[in-house]
Order: sequence, then structure tokens, then C-alpha cells
Amino acid sequence: MALQRLSLRVRQTINHARALHSTSFCQQQEALADHSYPDQFSIFRSPEHDPASQTENHIGQFYTVPASHIHTLFPHGLPLRYQQQIKTFNEACVMIRQPALEVISYLKQTDYNKPALRYIFYGTNGSGKTMSLCHTIHFCYTQGWLVLHIPDAHRWVKNCKELLQSSFNSARFDQPLQATEWLRNFRITNESFLTKIKTKHRYVWTKREFTEEGSLLGELVDQGISRVKSSSDVVGAVMKELRLQSGQSDAAFRLVVAVDGVNALWGRSTIKKEDKTAVDPDELTLIHNARKLMKNDWNGGAIITTLSQTGSLYSPKLSYRPQELLGQRGFDCMDPFIPVSVPNYSEKEFESCYLYYIDRHWLQHPQSHTEEGKKELIFLSNRNPWMLDKICAFL
Amino acid sequence: MASYSTKAFLILGRINISRSRLQNATNRATYVSVLSMNSPTGNRASCRYQVGVPRTEKMPVDQDWTAVYPSAAPFRPNAVPLPVRMGYPIKGGVAPDKKANLELIKIPNFLHLTPAAIKKHCEALKPFCTEWPLALDTDAKCDEHFPIKVQTTHFVSAGPSLRNPSARIVHLKVKLSSLNLDDHARKKMIKLVGSRYCKKTDILTITTDSCPLRKQNYDYAMYLLTVLYHESWKIEGWEAEKTVADMEEYSWENSPSQRNLLDTLTRMKVVEEEGGEEVRQQLLGQAEVQEYKDSVTRLKNEGENEDTLLQYKEAVKKVLKL
Repeated sequence: MALQRLSLRVRQTINHARALHSTSFCQQQEALADHSYPDQFSIFRSPEHDPASQTENHIGQFYTVPASHIHTLFPHGLPLRYQQQIKTFNEACVMIRQPALEVISYLKQTDYNKPALRYIFYGTNGSGKTMSLCHTIHFCYTQGWLVLHIPDAHRWVKNCKELLQSSFNSARFDQPLQATEWLRNFRITNESFLTKIKTKHRYVWTKREFTEEGSLLGELVDQGISRVKSSSDVVGAVMKELRLQSGQSDAAFRLVVAVDGVNALWGRSTIKKEDKTAVDPDELTLIHNARKLMKNDWNGGAIITTLSQTGSLYSPKLSYRPQELLGQRGFDCMDPFIPVSVPNYSEKEFESCYLYYIDRHWLQHPQSHTEEGKKELIFLSNRNPWMLDKICAFL
Repeated sequence: MASYSTKAFLILGRINISRSRLQNATNRATYVSVLSMNSPTGNRASCRYQVGVPRTEKMPVDQDWTAVYPSAAPFRPNAVPLPVRMGYPIKGGVAPDKKANLELIKIPNFLHLTPAAIKKHCEALKPFCTEWPLALDTDAKCDEHFPIKVQTTHFVSAGPSLRNPSARIVHLKVKLSSLNLDDHARKKMIKLVGSRYCKKTDILTITTDSCPLRKQNYDYAMYLLTVLYHESWKIEGWEAEKTVADMEEYSWENSPSQRNLLDTLTRMKVVEEEGGEEVRQQLLGQAEVQEYKDSVTRLKNEGENEDTLLQYKEAVKKVLKL
């Protein structure tokens, strides 16, 4: 009898305790979900999914990029961790932040008969420059522009497995693998334009192969993908055509050139020639053509770039400012440009990211839902987006 | 052991002398009388060596300290009335006190250089000095009338030789702003002297130690200053080949930045492409272009920080009319 009563009481206390534990948890979630579910939902999620109509009121909120856009627009542009996050969460949510909004507002205001303006996103490692760039490109895509996106210029100056001497100019070197990969991604992004734009010049590839004037750009790109040897020259030709045609009054498109890690174009490379001397980036066809694109001698578009220390070669770890990373030559080429600073998360943005992770059940550790846990996260990550992502990954 | 026992005998002997009334006995006699004793006496307990009262207890508070330590002397615990402790603390306690403390005796002390002692030294030296000129009452006046400052070090020590080779070093300091240099001469002077010029304080320091005597080094330093001054005023033929990389600071004229900006601006005003020189002058005269020029110069000369970058951004936005 006593035992039964005891066991009953024990069971009661266990149930009570379990209930306490779980209900507090559930209560929190329910509380979060229930009476503030609509609020909660709109605190960190923006009602506007179109970049064109996002304003400063939406700073800190997440908006979803439709899956179709991701596949076409970003076959190669997003940071690796973010791609994994998309797969895990089954949605691509981008935070609306001030730097991207600023550049989008400038893009809305510019007169496209004037020479292309250059914007450079700069900031410390992991502060969100590539994501800001992707946000801006998404805006341009939704406005129907032609997107020429070089995902990471650093990848063109290091780890090159095949280096061919260029047939066009024997002093330069070709990188067929990188060029074909880029052409393939370019084709995926700009399918619709490839059938509309016609070339203005005649290109001779070999004695028998040539591309006539007036042929479609799509054919040129296909030529580059199939004939791997001349793919770097095809890339150069594509860039030249687009540059020439974008400013004309009869052009059907606006061109946005987006380069991530633009400081690679004027930095050093780790590729070595056969006699073990280092290759100057000047001598690489891809880099040479990209540099020509960076000059603002064409109209009807914009050049949006980011500086990146993470992939850069021979640059000190703590440098993040334009002149430090671009160097003298780079600065002279890019001048005048508009530098846009990308800082770490503000308090509001951090809140938003934290709530998003909780909503996606990414933060599993019970202590991470408490105030102290949040303070710990702030302290450990210093509100740096990349650091926060790394820390939350194993919570 | 033998020496120890003889010392004991000697002490005993002295005590015997003080006890007995043999006032005029010499030490030799004492030794003889002691040595003649065959066995040590058993009254060692009564023959205790009288330790005197330390001098510190007899010192009045307002004594003349310079009399206690008139010159450099090792530390004497019975002469210094301070409860000083020095050394590694014993376990569970404090540092050992000053009685028989070798650490205190080893280190140099400045007990002979108290302010009172210094005053006395100054008073002793005063008859040999002349008065400070009354007109030179501020540092600025001294710099104005005597811009060159020469610093030498004199050494005094007692040893086998009185000479010290470090006494030959001469430092000559002069502010470049007090020299009559124009822009070109100043830049050339700074390039010639290299690391001897400090940008923050604008002082050129010439240190000479190549000659064996101080006077020779001083003459050499003055000679160097004269030569530097005259050479920096001369303009050589090869100075015309100065490149952009040699320039000390950034100048916006004829820089790639200026070229880029003018290109962009001319392309922005597509209509008025003729005119050439006039258009350039007109463009350069605009306020926004001047602002842009200032911001780029500041960025390059001062280095980058949030401030300069913001200023550059605003200037670019204004120039490109965003």
C-alpha cells in the first residue's frame, strides 16, 4: 500500500518533472508559435520576396528566393556553406541588409546612358559580402538583366591543372577547364538571352572553324563548350561582345558584371610555368579579359564586385580595406568606384538570424534557447555571420 | 680548527686585559700571556663579547645625514635607521631583515646622494658658475636663438685608467624648420639623411663616434650638417628623372586617378566632346572634382580608415551625380 502510494507519488513527480521540462520547452515554442506566431513569422520573415520592392523597413528580415531562380541564377555563385544550408532547410532565405539595399537603390537611380558605375563590397572575413552580391544579382535578374557572374576570381589564379599557351597571343596562357566550366554556368544563367543576341564580329578559331558575324551568342557559347581548347578565347569573345552591345540604343538588355574576389585580378598567382617561374595574372587570358570588363568604358549596366581576403594569395589575414587588397594597380584601374562597407550583424539582424535558426530547429541545444545562451552566442561569434553559422552548426 | 682555537685564545686574552688592570700591555704581551695558558678556561660564559648598542639608536631625528654617509659606501645596517627588508621571503614569512643581509650590501645605494647632500654639492659648485641669461626664460626662446643642441656624456670613475671610450660620442639635434630650406631642399635633405630624421618631431639627429676624441667628433658633426645643408640646395641633372615611385607624397595631378575621372566625365557628357583642353579645365574647376581630388589625396597619403573611405564614397557619389 505504502509502496503503491510511493510509486504513485514518484510517478506523479516524474510526470510533473517531465511535464515541466517538456512543457516549458513546448510552452516556449507554443508561446513563440501561438500568440506571436503571426508576429514571429513576420519579425524575421519579410513579406516582400521581390528585391525591387524591399525597403529599409525590411532590414534584418529574411526573404525567400524561389527555387527556380536558385537553379538558373546561382549554379556557381553562392558560398559553399550557404548551399548546404539551402539543402538542409529546403529553402533559400536571404537576409535583407543595408549594403545590398544601398546598391540596389543606386541601381534604380542610375542613368544607363552613362558609363557603368563600379561598386565594391568590402568588409572583414565572413561579414556577408558574397551574400550581398548575390542579393544584388537577384535583384538584377528579377529586373531582366543579363548577368555575367564570375563566382570567384581567385579560383582562376590558383590550382590550375592545365595551362595551355594561347593560340591568339602566344605570350598569354589559357585555362581551358576553368573557361568551359564558366561557359556552362553562364549558359544556364542566361538561356533566354543567348538566342536573342547576335555577334557583331567574325571570330576565327582554327583554319576551318570560324563564327560568322551575326550568328547567335548561344552558338558561340556552345562552340566554346565543345571545343575545349579555344574556350578561353571564347570567353574573351563573349565578354567583348556583351561589352560592346550593352550600351547601344538598340540593345535589348542591360548588363551586370558581378565579380567575387576582384582583388585576384591584380594580385599574384600561384600557377607556375614549366620552368617553375610564377605566372603573372596579366599573362592569363581569362584575367586579361576580365580586367578589360572592369574598365568603365561601356554604358548601360553596372559592375558590382567584392573584395575577398579568404581566397586571396599572399595577402595579410587582417587586411580588408580596398586599397590594401586591391593594391596600387587595382585601385588605379577601379578608380572612381563606390566602396560599400559590409559590417557584422547589427543587434536587430543578429536577433533575426537567431530566431530564424530557432524556427528552422537548427539550434537543438536547450541552453541555446535561453537568454544566457544567446549572450554566449553573441560573445563567441562577435555577431560575425560566418562565425555564427559555424558555431550554430554543432549546437 | 687551529686558527679557530687561536682566535678563541686571543679573545680570551683581550677580555683578560680588560678585566685586569694591565692598561699598557701590548697585544704581543697579551698573545704571550694567552699562549702561555695551556688549557682554555672554563669561564667562557662569563667572557661574552660585549656587543655595542647600534649607532642607529643614538641618532637624533634632525641629524646631519651627510655626515653619516659623506661619500659612496656600502650599506651598513647599524648606520641606517630604516627597517628595510630585502631578499626572497622565507617560507611562511617575509623577506629577511637588514641585519647581516648580503643582498643589501651587494647592491649599489645612493645614501650619499640625498637632497640635502645634493644641496651641499650645489652650494659648493655655485662659485664656479655664471648666471643664466634672463632673456632666455622660455623653451621657445631657447630654440629660436640656439636651434642646434649638442649632447655629450662625461664619465667619472676611478679605476686603472680615467678614460672612458664612450665619452667620445656626440649627438647633434636640430629642427629642420629652423633651417632655411625650400620645398625641394627639404625633400632632398630628408632623402639624404634617411632614418636620422624623425617625422613626428621634425628633428634631425646626427650621431658621430668615428673619431677618438670628443672635439673631433663635434667638428665632424658640424661639418656634416654644413655639407647636408649646401648639398640639399643644389639641383643635380639626374634629379629630373624622379619617378612617381620616388615621390614622398601623392599628388593628384597627372595621376591615373585624374585620367580615369576625366575620361568618365567626358564620356558622361557625350554631347560636348570637342574642346579638349578647355573642357578639361572646366571639368577640373568644378567643386565636386576638387572634393574628389581631396578625398583621393587624403586616402593615399593618410592611409585607409573608415573616415577617409566614407569621404571618398561621398565625393564619388557627388562627382558621378548619383
